[in-house]
Amino acid sequence: MNQAKPLMMTIVVSRYRPEQDAQPWDQSFEVPYSYDTSVLEALQYIKDHLDPSLSFRWSCRMAICGSCGFMVAGVPKLGCKTFLRDYSQAGSIRISALDNFPVERDLVSDIRDFVDKLETIKPYIIREQEQPVEEGEYLQTPAQLDKYKQFSQCINCGLCYAACPQFGRNPEFLGPAALALAFRYNQDSRDQGSAKRMEFLNAEQGVWSCTFVGYCSEVCPKHVDPAAAINQGKLASNIDYGLNLVGLAQQPGKVGEKS
Amino acid sequence: MSADPVHSNPKSSNPINRRPYVQPQPSNWWLKNRAYRFYMLREATSVPIFAYALVLIWGLFRLSQGQAAFTDWLALMASPVMMLLHLLVVAAALLHAYTWFDLTPKILVLRFGDFRVPDLWVKLAHYGGFVLTSGALICLAYVFLPGV
Repeated sequence: MNQAKPLMMTIVVSRYRPEQDAQPWDQSFEVPYSYDTSVLEALQYIKDHLDPSLSFRWSCRMAICGSCGFMVAGVPKLGCKTFLRDYSQAGSIRISALDNFPVERDLVSDIRDFVDKLETIKPYIIREQEQPVEEGEYLQTPAQLDKYKQFSQCINCGLCYAACPQFGRNPEFLGPAALALAFRYNQDSRDQGSAKRMEFLNAEQGVWSCTFVGYCSEVCPKHVDPAAAINQGKLASNIDYGLNLVGLAQQPGKVGEKS
Repeated sequence: MSADPVHSNPKSSNPINRRPYVQPQPSNWWLKNRAYRFYMLREATSVPIFAYALVLIWGLFRLSQGQAAFTDWLALMASPVMMLLHLLVVAAALLHAYTWFDLTPKILVLRFGDFRVPDLWVKLAHYGGFVLTSGALICLAYVFLPGV
């Protein structure tokens, strides 16, 4: 291609330095780009050449680690999977930390609460009786795998939380990724611990805080469709409620102990 | 919540001088993008439908007051303002039905052995049911309410 002057784009970055700033403020940078320059590479260019104090998280550069979630032009996106070429018409883009999370510094979000929520729903296979290792794996058919596979593709990037207005107004809401993960384990034929997770699903801060805005599924970079998982979880929650009324629901205390 | 070994310094009440900025959610958050605006429109369809429920209850009340009162109410229903309200209510109900049918395949997952009923079939079944029941109602109205 031509060796002439590279294309330039104005990247507006939301900065927040907790030692000196009361609130985030915008800083502009001129960044050269080509057809394959990602938002993450643009940020790396800024850090390497323009302002080494800029902070942001990244790791794999290939949409699997889930570290580089930012608001790009107001939309939650992975920096590595978003390209400057798609914003060439606008001529500039604004990048800020993910919505709804506290900002630790610049583009770094405080995701501690999110990680705690993931742990809350017991994201591991619970058995009534653990099978000895010598007896081999817990087997599963392709049809059984198909029931939860989509929901197991989550990379914990947090874009769905940034997209969720219910989480924005009520940070206690377990939120899309955690509820989708709970549903994923409840759908797993090898798991016998759904009664333990139903406690969290059934709660006010569980599936019932969701109003099916559906934007979480739109922004999910791995097509997990958390909105589908949560709302199928509502169905499961209703059935659990009905069974409980007639004394048929499985009691959480009776399932194999791990916690 | 358990103590955070990375961020908290057990010897200090101020763990490593962190001061995360809590982002407020503005009251006009829903104006921010198309998906939010459409969601709010979907939810707002409940307002005209609530108004229509009130109109129906009002009609029932007028019916209880005798034939003359009910005829008055019927005449009022034919006024341009009421016609406009009815059009608005039909539009709201149709939009709500469309969004509902659109979301149903996400929740109604039907499996027969290895076969999962495709989303499109679920959606089409809903539209089919909608057309059938509406058609049946219109037929019933023709049979039992001649001249309407």
